[in-house]
Amino acid sequence: MSHGNARLSAFVSSITLLLLIAPFIGLALATPWRHFGFADGDASAIGVSLIYSSIALVLIVALGTPLAWWLARHQIRARWLIDVLLLLALLTPPLALGLLLASMYGPYGPAGNLLERAGLVLTNSAPAFVMAQFYSALPYYVIAARAAFENVPRELEQIALTLGHSPWHSFLHVSLPLARLGLAAAIALAWVRALGEFGAVLIVAYYPQGIPVKLWVNLQDIGLNAVYPLLWVFFIVAMPLPLLLGLAARRRHLF
Amino acid sequence: MRIDYRIDHPIALHAAFDVEGFTVLLGASGEGKSLLLRAIAGLTPAQGEPFHGMAAQHRAAGYLPQGYALFPHLNAWQNVAFSLRGAQRRAQAMQWLERVHMAEFAERYPATLSGGQQQRVALARALARKPQLLLLDEPTSALDPVTRDDVIAELIGEVHEFGIPALAVSHDPQLAAVADRLVLMHNRNVIQIGPPNLVYANPVNGAAARLLGHRNVHRGRIEGSRGARRLIWQDGAVAFPIDNQNDTDIEVDWTIDPEAIHLVDSRDALVEAIPATIEVRQAMGRTTQLGLRCGQSRLWASISSDTPLPERLAVHLPTGAIRCWKKDSLS
Repeated sequence: MSHGNARLSAFVSSITLLLLIAPFIGLALATPWRHFGFADGDASAIGVSLIYSSIALVLIVALGTPLAWWLARHQIRARWLIDVLLLLALLTPPLALGLLLASMYGPYGPAGNLLERAGLVLTNSAPAFVMAQFYSALPYYVIAARAAFENVPRELEQIALTLGHSPWHSFLHVSLPLARLGLAAAIALAWVRALGEFGAVLIVAYYPQGIPVKLWVNLQDIGLNAVYPLLWVFFIVAMPLPLLLGLAARRRHLF
Repeated sequence: MRIDYRIDHPIALHAAFDVEGFTVLLGASGEGKSLLLRAIAGLTPAQGEPFHGMAAQHRAAGYLPQGYALFPHLNAWQNVAFSLRGAQRRAQAMQWLERVHMAEFAERYPATLSGGQQQRVALARALARKPQLLLLDEPTSALDPVTRDDVIAELIGEVHEFGIPALAVSHDPQLAAVADRLVLMHNRNVIQIGPPNLVYANPVNGAAARLLGHRNVHRGRIEGSRGARRLIWQDGAVAFPIDNQNDTDIEVDWTIDPEAIHLVDSRDALVEAIPATIEVRQAMGRTTQLGLRCGQSRLWASISSDTPLPERLAVHLPTGAIRCWKKDSLS
């Protein structure tokens, strides 16, 4: 019986994997390998994506980690409200998120108006690009990082205190290393979300063009064949960080 | 060292006693013993001495929680070195590991160590912090029953060697028996303090006797006039004469030493005997412990292993061997 079950689950798993891989087989088949060439501006789109996504990622980790920690470790009265808020941010379709951002931070938005006077333009600018990525990836990071911190036994953090470490040291030397697998997954998730964001970026930052918007532009202006080369590059530049994080987190001494 | 702590939340608790050498606080689960240790370590809000009002990281208390809580991402010497600073921290950690006879396991991770080995690493880690007081939460609960006596002997030897007062909380009467000083807790009150031999010989009441692992502790009632007092044992469905009681019409806890129980043949009507059947035999070398069913309850009798059992088994409880404690309304 269990033998049959194992076979069945292996069979279903193969089908699932095949479904997963099918679009990429399509990509490999459709790519014009003999005439593999880039459209104008593809190179700069790669640079824009990498640099601004990195900035967005740093901001997400810097601001999201304290929030995730606070949610994981403190008794909060309106916890359900915060959960709803996070869920809301997670559920908002990217295009709608872009519109919301434009309404708040655009030239006629209440915050955008003020910031523009201070010299920070959040429409069709590098900061706008980073902002759109930040908003689309932050909730994913916070939820994943919170789960990572919740899995750290509180007793171990308390033992660190009784051994003379300050709460901050205890966080650095116990909570962070023990949460590293989950945190690495959270960072990888945020990176992939930020780099791949299209809808929100399209609305608030058509320029500068990162890879997702450039793919769209290439499709509109030139056609499908101009999409494939850039898409290959997208995979190549997007993959290493999550892979490295996954590998590094599985080793014992990351920190 | 004098311990005097008061906790209000999550349960109300007040405990005051001295810790000398290896002191065991014995109490049933749910008494708040672990909570008391956490309070002394500064991990839960409480008022009291020592360490009044200090943050946990400033209290010179070495805390070993149940299961020892070694850091799983650090190996043995890194665990011990956790509280150490400076270039010499590895060498110092190795010295501590040597003192608890764990130097050869320095590179091993906690998951690969046995319960007793983890306990020694945790002890070294706590000692490396140079505490004034050691706090041990149920130190025997994670031990393998085969090696536990040796592990406890080693632990106590080390505590004495380091000369730091240690407070262990436990519900394990065997651990209590090896303490330098014993504190009994019942209904969140300290009910008896003393050296274990005296406490074992004279438990202050039935609850204390139960905590200490006395096997035959039962409820009963004294009735009858002077000279004709009887102990009614409802669960055993019997009553028998008792002559060493002053009060009558009172509820009591009573006990009898398993060795004092006589096994007789129920056809032998010379003495007042209680019919019994054997439920379980615990053969322990020269003596055998018999679990005897009497009515709704059980009596334990200890006999020499080569004693032949009567054909129709009954037990006789010599009056002089029975101890009674008047039940107070609290317990």
